[in-house]
Amino acid sequence: MTNVRLAVSNLRVTYPLENRPRVNAIEHVDFSLRPNEFVSIIGPSGCGKSTLFNVIAGLLAPDSGAVHLDGRDIVGRPGNVAYMMQRDLLLPWRSILENVILGPELAGKPQAQSRATAQTLLRRFGLEGFENAYPSALSGGMRQRAALMRTILLERSVILLDEPFGALDALTRASMSEWLLGIQREFQRTMILITHDPDDAVFLSERVYVSSPRPMRIAGVVDVNLPRDRRRDVTLTPEFAAHKKQVLSHLQSNPEPRRAA
Amino acid sequence: MSRLRRKLFGGSSRATDIAAPMLLMALILAGWELVVHVFAIPAYVLPPPTEIVAKIFEDWRIIFPHLQVTLFEIVAGYALAAVVGFLLSIAIVYSRAFRRGVLPLIVAAQTIPVIAIAPILVIWFGYNYVPRIIITALVAFFPLTISIVTGLQALEAEFINFFRSLNATGFQMFLKLRLPAALPNIFAGLKVATTLAVVGATISEWVGASAGLGYLMAQDSAQLNTTRVFSSLVVLGLCGMAFFASVGLVERLCMPWVHGRLDLSWFGQRSSAKSSSADTNEASTRTN
Repeated sequence: MTNVRLAVSNLRVTYPLENRPRVNAIEHVDFSLRPNEFVSIIGPSGCGKSTLFNVIAGLLAPDSGAVHLDGRDIVGRPGNVAYMMQRDLLLPWRSILENVILGPELAGKPQAQSRATAQTLLRRFGLEGFENAYPSALSGGMRQRAALMRTILLERSVILLDEPFGALDALTRASMSEWLLGIQREFQRTMILITHDPDDAVFLSERVYVSSPRPMRIAGVVDVNLPRDRRRDVTLTPEFAAHKKQVLSHLQSNPEPRRAA
Repeated sequence: MSRLRRKLFGGSSRATDIAAPMLLMALILAGWELVVHVFAIPAYVLPPPTEIVAKIFEDWRIIFPHLQVTLFEIVAGYALAAVVGFLLSIAIVYSRAFRRGVLPLIVAAQTIPVIAIAPILVIWFGYNYVPRIIITALVAFFPLTISIVTGLQALEAEFINFFRSLNATGFQMFLKLRLPAALPNIFAGLKVATTLAVVGATISEWVGASAGLGYLMAQDSAQLNTTRVFSSLVVLGLCGMAFFASVGLVERLCMPWVHGRLDLSWFGQRSSAKSSSADTNEASTRTN
C-alpha cells in the first residue's frame, strides 16, 4: 500500500451558466495527502474551494480527473469522507447527543453503542452537561464543537473542513483552532481545511496550498516546517512569520483578475 | 401550576394578561345586553347574551345529541383531511408530474363552492354520514395541504447537501430531515384546519342531514328560534376553540425544541440560566 491517503489528480470542474458557455470552476488541481496530515487550502472567496470539497465528498461529478481514497476511486460516491460544512447544520429538533450520533444512526449502527461512545467524548469537546440541550441553547463556538464531534463520530479517515470557524469571533476562533489541532492529533484524522486566514492555515497545517482566484488552480505550496506539537505562541515566532509571508506572497502574486466584460 | 400553564398555553401568567381580555369581552357582552334592552329589540332578531346562555342550559338535552353528531363529523372529516392532505403533499413534493398535473386541478376545485357539490355527494354516497364527512374534509384539506407542501419544501439546500454527504437514503432524508423541519408548517396547517372542519361540518348539515348542530340551526332559524341558533353557535364556537387548543397542545408536545420541554428539571429557566452557563463552558474550554 502506498503512503497516500487521499489523492486528487488533474481535476477539472465546470459549471453551467444560463445562456452562456460553461464556466471553469476548477482547473487542473493536483494534490495528495499522507495519513494523518493536516493540509490547508487558502484562497480568495468564491475561488471554487467549496466546489473542490463537493467533488471530494462525492456530491459533485468533475468534468475530468480523479479522487482516490486509499487507492480507491471515490468520485461520485458520497459517504467516504467526512465533510464539515461552513454552517454547523445541527438539526434544531435534536438534542446535542442526538445530533452528534447522526452519522452512525444513518449508517444503521446500534444506538446504544454510539450513544455510549458519544457520552465519553462530550467532555473532550467541551459539551459536558449539554448533551440534552437543543442546539439553540448553545453558543456559536459550542455549536461548532458539536458539529466537529459529529464529524469525528462519522469515523472516516479523511475530514474536509470548509471554513468551520469562519463565523466565530476572533478570540473564540484562535482558541478553537488550537483545540482543533489537538483533536486532529488525538483522533488521528487526515484533515483538509479551507480557510481565508493565513494565520490559521500556517498554524494548523503541515502544508498550505494557495489557490488562485477563479478558476481554482494551485498557485503555490508552502511546506510548514514548524514542530508538529504547536502551541498558539508559535504564531509569535519569526519562523511562523516567514511561513506566513510566503503564503501572503503567493496570494499577492495571484491577484483577483479583472472581471471580463 | 402557573409555569405549567405558561408551558401549555404560551402566554405570560401575569394576572393582567388574563384580566385585560376578559374585561374587554365582558364589556362587549354588557354593551350587547344593554343595546338589546334599551332599544327593545325582539329576541327573534337579536337575543341578549344572558338569554343565549340560559337557553344552552335549558335546551341542553336537545342540543347535546345534535352536538354529538356534529362532533363526529368534525373529527372524522378532519382526520380524513389530515391523512389525504399529508399523502397529497408528499406526492406534490416528490413528483414533478403530480405537482404540474394535479396541483392545478386541486386549486381549480377549490373555487367550486362546496355547498354546490353537496347534493352530488348525497346522490353518490347516500343519505348518511359519508357525504358530510367528505364535505368537512373538502373544506379543511386545502390550506392544510398547502402548509404541508410549504413546510416540506422549506428546507435549506445546505441541509440536503449535508445529508447527501452522509450517504443518507431518500427515506432517511424524508424521515429525519424533511419531516421534522416541516413540523412548524404542518402544525400551522393543522390548526387552521380545525376551525375549517367546524365550518365544513356545519354547512354539510344544511344539505341532506337530519341531525347535527348545523341541521338544528337551519331548523331553528326557519322557525325564528333565533335564541337557540345563537346558543348552538356558542356551543359550536366553544368546541372549535377546544379543538384548536388541543391541536396546539399536541404541537407543543411534538416540538419541544421550539416551546421547551414540558418537564424541565434542570433546563428550567431557559433563557437566563442556559446562556450564562454556555458562556462559562466556553471560557473553560478556552483555557484548556
